[in-house]
Amino acid sequence: MSIKNIPLKLTAKSLRSDQTVRWCPGCGDYAILSQVQRVMPKLGLPKEDFVVISGIGCSSRFPYYMDTYGIHSIHGRAPTLATGLAISNPDLSVWVITGDGDALSIGGNHFIHTIRRNIDLNIILFNNRVYGLTKGQYSPTSRQGHRSKSSPMGSIEQPINPIALALAANATFIARTLDSHTKHMGGVFEEAAKHKGTSLVEVYQKCIIFNANEWGDLQDSHKRDDHIIYLEDGQPMVFGKNMDKGIRMNAQYELEVVELGDEFTEADLLVHNVKSKALALMLSSMEWPNFPAALGVIHSREAQTYTEGLELQIADAQARKGVGNLQSLYADADTWEI
Amino acid sequence: MSKKLIKGNVALAEAAVRAGCQAYFGYPITPQTELLEHMAIRMPELGRTFLQAESEVAAINMVYGAASSGVRAMTSSSGPGISLMQEGLSYIVGSEVPVVIIDVMRGGPGLGNIQPAQSDYNQLTKTAGHGDYNPIVLAPSTIQEGVDMVTLSFDLADKYRTLVFVAIDGAIGQMMEPAEMPPMQELHPRPEWAITGQGERNEKNIITSIYLGADNLGDFNDKLQAKLRAIEESEVRYEAETVDDAELIVVAFGTSGRVAKSAVHHLRKAGKKVGLLRPITLWPFPSKKLAALADGGTKKFLVVEMNMGQMLHDVRYAVGRDIDVQFFGRAGGSIPMPEEIQEKAMAMLEVN
Repeated sequence: MSIKNIPLKLTAKSLRSDQTVRWCPGCGDYAILSQVQRVMPKLGLPKEDFVVISGIGCSSRFPYYMDTYGIHSIHGRAPTLATGLAISNPDLSVWVITGDGDALSIGGNHFIHTIRRNIDLNIILFNNRVYGLTKGQYSPTSRQGHRSKSSPMGSIEQPINPIALALAANATFIARTLDSHTKHMGGVFEEAAKHKGTSLVEVYQKCIIFNANEWGDLQDSHKRDDHIIYLEDGQPMVFGKNMDKGIRMNAQYELEVVELGDEFTEADLLVHNVKSKALALMLSSMEWPNFPAALGVIHSREAQTYTEGLELQIADAQARKGVGNLQSLYADADTWEI
Repeated sequence: MSKKLIKGNVALAEAAVRAGCQAYFGYPITPQTELLEHMAIRMPELGRTFLQAESEVAAINMVYGAASSGVRAMTSSSGPGISLMQEGLSYIVGSEVPVVIIDVMRGGPGLGNIQPAQSDYNQLTKTAGHGDYNPIVLAPSTIQEGVDMVTLSFDLADKYRTLVFVAIDGAIGQMMEPAEMPPMQELHPRPEWAITGQGERNEKNIITSIYLGADNLGDFNDKLQAKLRAIEESEVRYEAETVDDAELIVVAFGTSGRVAKSAVHHLRKAGKKVGLLRPITLWPFPSKKLAALADGGTKKFLVVEMNMGQMLHDVRYAVGRDIDVQFFGRAGGSIPMPEEIQEKAMAMLEVN
């Protein structure tokens, strides 16, 4: 009997490793770990088919805490290791765990190329807008003016928008969620895991030590509903604690927040369509605090994965030339007598 | 000038500022990050350039670009980051651009750990990129010496238009020690070869490392080798203590060099004829001095390193096959204790 035939009931608990989880008390990473562990059992795969691959950074301790296969790899390079692995064994469920420094700074190049190839894997990007592991330098998502140990007078640089970057790389699944909203996060992770192709989930994550207030108004459960819009496919973009605000496109083709009432009604609002790349690009430009943070599935469409394309090419080659035979390849090749 | 208690990384950064470094590019990596952070504070307030790059690959090439404009430019990192810079290092030497890099070494291979180690000896002295060259590698063993070596590194880089490393380990980077800072230097004028705009010149300055045709590249390599031989002739630095009558000489650099010094002092007090040879330049290596010591009667050498024996091979090559050369060291981030070195030295001395 092979290992795979042993009946296993996967639970969140059974995905916990024997390692003590070591992040700072109050770090958003704990909630993300716990949601990944809750979602994986819903996917109907045995434990040994999961692989968690990380780079370098606080988030990259993740593989140690999962009782699955894992690779703690090189700074920024996790998407490339994951590409090699996912293509070599398409049966595996591959999860890349990365942060804003890892994925967008040193790993920016690999991030976009993995996405444009549509490799079947899930990227969970912990965005806390600061370098945590090296103790508090500004990151490529830090806001202009952000003061840190390496930007004592404020960062001069414009931040990268990971959602817009992924769209530019023709991403087929993009979602965003928040570490403190665990139920929402779990739902988004499940959708991402079910998507065929590269799924990107940006998680607004709290670094309690070096950038604790970055997502403050979003994380306060009493106030957050006025600062967040929960995107639902096919639904008008209404938000607010009293559901009295919405997002519309004005005559200058720009998004704006409106109060629902006499002047604007739900009929004036944009209706979310996850298949629209153009809409996704507009939504990516909604940056909190100027806009409510758009959480949920921003973009999702079906497209050929890299592995599917590869298999089609192989089938095509075999249809034209027949199934290859290594022995005959050796024997038939041009040879020379010396 | 007075001495001030200062952290190694901060002291070396400040020394670079005072040596007239006008452009710093770097990426955070432990145990080097305080160096970058000090530059983030100091460079803008002096009207100079600080930029946190997106990776070490970006950082070294930004340094390449800045140095091409004729300013004193540098970066700093640790083993994994230096590995990433290799491409840029080779091009920098190939196009004869002066660059200084401070390497605060940690344990390898791979991610290894963040504890002090001397794991980059081979990488810095022998394999810092493709092609036939060696960078100058300075290996101070105290914070004061580190400050002095940083000052020297910019002068050597400019003098020979080459790449100079100052290699310390995480222990020197992280500890505090009294050190005296040099005075602030005037900024250096941009040299003739640099990209400075045409000005009074009639010819273009082009920074390049491509020499098409076998003759052209052959000629360049001959010129490069002549320069390296001149560096070997003039720039070897070391500290030698009680070597003249020594039966056994301990050879060690950096942090293990200062631990070895304590061990040698203890052994001398106990009446043992033991000496210390501490290379300060890892390249050019004090091969001639070692050979002279072996010829002068010392038949036993103990090499101590915080790695698995990288400098060991250079010592063996220098003293020859008839000399007993043994090794003590460990990789992983532990610093040898003087007692351990003494024990190993005693064991060697007891064998005739």
